Amino acid sequence: MKRSKSILLCILLTLFCLCGCLSENTMPTQHSVVLIAKSTSTEFWLSVFAGAEAAATEYNVNLTIIGPETEEDYEAQNAMVERAVQENAEAIVFSAIDFENNAGAIDAAAQAGVQVVAIDSSVDSTAVKTYIGTDNYAAGRMAAQTALGRLDGTLNVGIVNYDISSANGQERERGAKDVFMESGRAEITAVINTLAEAETARIDTAALLAEHPEINVLLAFNEPTSVGAAQAVGDLGLSEQVFLVGFDSNVVTVDCLQEGSVDALVVQNPYAMGYLGVESAYRLLSGGSKDVQHVVDTSTRIVDRENLFSIDSQKALFAFEQRTH
Amino acid sequence: MKQRVPHTGLRITTILVSMVVSVVTIILCCCVFVFLDRYRSAMVQSARTSSEQAVSQVSSTVESYLRDMDQSMRLVRQFMLEEPERRDELLSAFLKFRPDVVAVTSYSPEGELLECWAPGREPKEEIFQNLSFDLQTARAAEEPYIMAPHVESIFEGYYPWVVTVTAPIPEGGEAAWVSLDLSFSGISSYINNVSIGQRGYCFLMDAGGNIVYHPQQQLLYSGLKSENTAALAALADGTYADDTVISCLEAVGDSGWRIVGVSYVDELVNRNVTEMLRLSFVLAIVVLAASLLTSWLLSRLLDRPLRGLAAAMGSFEKDADHFTYRPVGGTREVQELSQSFGHMVVRIQKLMTTVREEEVNLRKTELRALQTQINPHFLYNTLDSIAWMCEQGRNADAVKMVHALARLFRISISQGHELIPVAREIEHAESYLQIQKYRYKNQFTYAFDVDPECLDFLCNKITLQPIIENAINHGLKLLVDEGRIDVRVYRDGEDVVFCVQDNGVGMTPEQVESILRRDPGNHTGIGIKNVNDRLQIYFGRQYGLHITSEPDVGTTVEIRMPQIREGDYETK
Repeated sequence: MKRSKSILLCILLTLFCLCGCLSENTMPTQHSVVLIAKSTSTEFWLSVFAGAEAAATEYNVNLTIIGPETEEDYEAQNAMVERAVQENAEAIVFSAIDFENNAGAIDAAAQAGVQVVAIDSSVDSTAVKTYIGTDNYAAGRMAAQTALGRLDGTLNVGIVNYDISSANGQERERGAKDVFMESGRAEITAVINTLAEAETARIDTAALLAEHPEINVLLAFNEPTSVGAAQAVGDLGLSEQVFLVGFDSNVVTVDCLQEGSVDALVVQNPYAMGYLGVESAYRLLSGGSKDVQHVVDTSTRIVDRENLFSIDSQKALFAFEQRTH
Repeated sequence: MKQRVPHTGLRITTILVSMVVSVVTIILCCCVFVFLDRYRSAMVQSARTSSEQAVSQVSSTVESYLRDMDQSMRLVRQFMLEEPERRDELLSAFLKFRPDVVAVTSYSPEGELLECWAPGREPKEEIFQNLSFDLQTARAAEEPYIMAPHVESIFEGYYPWVVTVTAPIPEGGEAAWVSLDLSFSGISSYINNVSIGQRGYCFLMDAGGNIVYHPQQQLLYSGLKSENTAALAALADGTYADDTVISCLEAVGDSGWRIVGVSYVDELVNRNVTEMLRLSFVLAIVVLAASLLTSWLLSRLLDRPLRGLAAAMGSFEKDADHFTYRPVGGTREVQELSQSFGHMVVRIQKLMTTVREEEVNLRKTELRALQTQINPHFLYNTLDSIAWMCEQGRNADAVKMVHALARLFRISISQGHELIPVAREIEHAESYLQIQKYRYKNQFTYAFDVDPECLDFLCNKITLQPIIENAINHGLKLLVDEGRIDVRVYRDGEDVVFCVQDNGVGMTPEQVESILRRDPGNHTGIGIKNVNDRLQIYFGRQYGLHITSEPDVGTTVEIRMPQIREGDYETK
């Protein structure tokens, strides 16, 4: 009798435990995800945020978007990561300003149990579960190939790159250089590293062109430097002489593309980066890392005067949402 | 004691609990299955309905947008017929009231941009490409026509998405066509915000299956998402549900555009069904647990007292004498059973005592009857011996013999008393020995050694005589040498011991055993077995005879009985 009683008690206890577990599972949970961008002002990042917000709505994620004032301030980013961890973020969608110097903060966050997804530019940490962004080396090659395809003769290439510690910029530069080297008819005349800010980039590019008037191909590796370079070329009246390949799009570079100071744009897919970044974070939080690929390459396309107003390019370049500039 | 038969039947608890649980399980399973099936179809229906509602709402919104465009165009065409000054006035007023109009443009018959009215903006001097106007399409169309959403490309640094409606102006003089660019962002953000469930969405498709507007445009272009528009374009308006997706199509008026609503079965139906499944599972478990508990309690109510009763019966079966009945609690039926059992126990115990008492009494009576009998052969022989003595003139011996015989009978009878003083018993034994000694012509001698303190104790009458008789008949009669019988009486602790020792031929252990067992048979008088039985009946099993014998050496019989004084026995 005693034995059967204890057995029954056990059964009941297990049942109640089971019930408890089940009822706990039924509670829907809203995951909190923090997106830490490199900037909050450029068109590129606004498009990333649009994608991220679309995914947040779709997956019922509590999304917070933050970013530093300038695209060089990796310390501010580190502080943001720390604060996000303190505020119990479950996942961080991160775009690193500095491949190396952001690693410590990300490692610490991962140590605290936060899932890390890298978008646009990765960071030197094994904690990064997935990287979603452009294959920067391939994008760099694409830029160089465009220039080689349009121009005959010898190419004197000037490169306007942004911060030297940015993995993306360096990868793009490496890709471009490799293609120029392979062609055998191009020479890298000069490489400058300027700030990712249009005005500085304009001044630096103008200085570069003044110093090296032989430059006939100019590559700029992100949105602000492209704007700066385009303005410099336009100001100097070198639209015909200089073949400028920029990165990303905004209204200025699109205007310049029509005017001629910009000849081609390598357009990334920031919307997809934001969308997939948040989606991956959600998947990591709810389903584990099984269905999350380690690297996801968002597409890049070349936009030039010919295909600028094709319907696909329109949709890639211009946001439907009305934004205030 | 009986060996317990191993139990083969099932216990009532097992039967009851498993029966209830299985019945409840089957019923629950059926209920859950039926319920979930119904629930699922209801959910699918409601998902379809909500999808249809969302799509028809979007459709009517887009339709009213297009209708509004049509009306605006009509207005603009009227303005274009006015004098230029009046026209500009009217148009600027129109633009003021319609902030969603991005631009109104007029074109020459050659397709050149003549004039542009836009709030606060001027077109670029050198327009790279004007997406709002296409000469070939314009020439082909006689009626106003609508162009799919595109980017406004005539301004500098301003590229809003617009939908253009272009209309010919037959009597417009210089201008052959007028276009109205209406902002698309209102509609696009409206479509963006439409959600069917959490992840469902709507998109806009033209008759050929080309996507006019999709909230996740960029994902489609990067190939991260795809929409099977070709298949959708072939479908008529309506709702189509497959395992994963519910698609709902509806045409927007007669524009050729169609709204497609996409919602996910997984989230609208499956999630709810899973939730409900989980809930019903929890409920089922609770019900099961409750039924388990109830059936267990119920069976406990039945089974436990029944088993108590069975245990009581078992112990009664084992030892009926020392069983004490304790009532078993439980339901009324069990209590009644228990009571009946109690009555039975009392009855049986009473009967057992009666039977035992009656048996003892019977035995006593039997033995008493035996005691009063005298072996007739002994009497004939003795009388023969006396007659013989008289004939020979041995009168003195004859007198002694007669006296001894008379004493023997007197003591045998003893006024019907069972217990007599030891002294009397000794006297009895001595008389017997005297007679036998004459009869056997002094073939043996005998001696008494009696503790004088024992003389007053009581003992059963005719205890020694059968022993002595046995010693003479089986021990000394066959002996060639002179026999000897020693009778000793002494105290041993609380007991009195009578010891009869002879030096006869003795007995084997088998013989000893048979003497203690055998009834006297056709012999009359008391046998050794009877002596033993009688002592044990009177005093208990620890008393009685003990025989030690060795062939050719002799036999010793010890008779043990308690020390009883006058008056003691009555209490027994």
